[in-house]
Amino acid sequence: MQNAFLVGLSRQVALSRELDVVANNIANINTNGYKADGSLFEEYLASSARSDTGGRISFVRDRGIWHDMTSGAVERTGNPLDVAIDGEAFFAVQTQRGERYTRNGAFHLNATGQLVTSEGDAVLGTGGPITFQPNDREISISKDGIISVREGASKTSTQRGQLRLVNFTKPQQLQKDGGSTFKAAANDPPQQATKASIEQGAIEKSNVRGVVEMSRMIEITRSYTQVATLLQQQGDMNQQSIDKLAEVPA
Amino acid sequence: MRALSTAATGMMAMELNVQVISNNLANMTTTSYKRQRAEFQDLLYDHLSRVGTQTSAQGNMLPVGIDLGSGVKTVGTARLMQQGNLTQTTNPFDVAIRGDGFFKVQLPDGTYTYTRDGSFKTDAQGRIVTAQGNVVQPAITIPANATGLTINAQGQVSVVPSGSTTPTILGQLTLTRFINPAGLLPIGDNMYQETPASGTPQDGLPGTDGAGDLQQRMLEQSNVDSVTEITDLITAQRAYEMNSKVISAADQMLQATSNLMR
Repeated sequence: MQNAFLVGLSRQVALSRELDVVANNIANINTNGYKADGSLFEEYLASSARSDTGGRISFVRDRGIWHDMTSGAVERTGNPLDVAIDGEAFFAVQTQRGERYTRNGAFHLNATGQLVTSEGDAVLGTGGPITFQPNDREISISKDGIISVREGASKTSTQRGQLRLVNFTKPQQLQKDGGSTFKAAANDPPQQATKASIEQGAIEKSNVRGVVEMSRMIEITRSYTQVATLLQQQGDMNQQSIDKLAEVPA
Repeated sequence: MRALSTAATGMMAMELNVQVISNNLANMTTTSYKRQRAEFQDLLYDHLSRVGTQTSAQGNMLPVGIDLGSGVKTVGTARLMQQGNLTQTTNPFDVAIRGDGFFKVQLPDGTYTYTRDGSFKTDAQGRIVTAQGNVVQPAITIPANATGLTINAQGQVSVVPSGSTTPTILGQLTLTRFINPAGLLPIGDNMYQETPASGTPQDGLPGTDGAGDLQQRMLEQSNVDSVTEITDLITAQRAYEMNSKVISAADQMLQATSNLMR
């Protein structure tokens, strides 16, 4: 009899975890380069305490969270330091915690003229961080990531480096590390991306789809309430059985 | 429940977003205003089960982990320094910058600030000042009764003195460049201050080193694009609504739980 409670509980724990994931997606619906998460559940079979109840009991367990790696909408901003990636690739960024990868191409310059992310971490080119000179103007970034400028009054362009684009054989193994960055798995090192191109003056928005998240949320709350009702009925049954069995004729 | 605080970070972020957008819209017709953009990033993750953990001695490993995010944070309100459109005026004291430079202005306390707002005036002594009466550097005094004020693209200021027919050059306006103009600190009144992030100011002549040239009888409009702002406003408002729905969903679930016990 207690099994029904435990099965119900396992479902409720899984559902509240799923709501946490949905909440994080919706909170990041306006975060540039954010990739939505989805929950994976699996059945967990446990043998019942008594063999005569027949069969085994299945609980639900959250197995993992997968990243939806589809591209987000690309918005044109016209800002020369905004870049979006077309294809499966990431920008490489040098952070305090080590090298990280991101799809968020809202870059800036710092006081020394280095190309940095909104957090101030250096964006890596094929030859390390990219630095501009004080009198550089008209920054242009080509499809393959080559950054060229016009220096001072010069009429010809000078190259300042090439953005490093990487991809992974198993992108699901990437771990989210906050700050719109991903951390590479130890067994899946970054490789030079070949099938991606860069769009200057555009930015990749979050790939969270509001409709999907809202309908998932409705599903979560409804199933949660259903399980709660089921548990309540179980409780009532227990109550009744206690009442009936306790009616000892005096 | 984690979802409650996660959604709260989302609501706070969107509130800030609306604040930034409303400031942009309020400054749509402010001379030389540069629009701002709120930038967001996801907050730290709780790695409940690490991806790549071995699940057997044979080397099988978890293909996906459980990483629960804790919401969103605002990482900055970046200023977009794109050139605004130039509008023609009939005032000879209106000067627009076509390029990346700033006018250098001295405040009454002696410190320097930088502005792109070139709607200049003259004060009682004939000096060229900004609309707030701060002296534009280097100070140029226009003699009384002079006519025909001309400011050329290279920043040379010349007038025709009274009783003469040939123009004389009074001085030279300079422009200041920063390697990272988005790192300047806005202090209101269309003025910016140097910060450690902006880099040191580099004074130069208009028309050299990308500082831009000057256009007399022109003013730079704000670079706010109303269509972009309104669509951003719609997105921000809807995102705020959805986050509030997450809170009510979490609330419903908590209510269902608390109703279990009667």
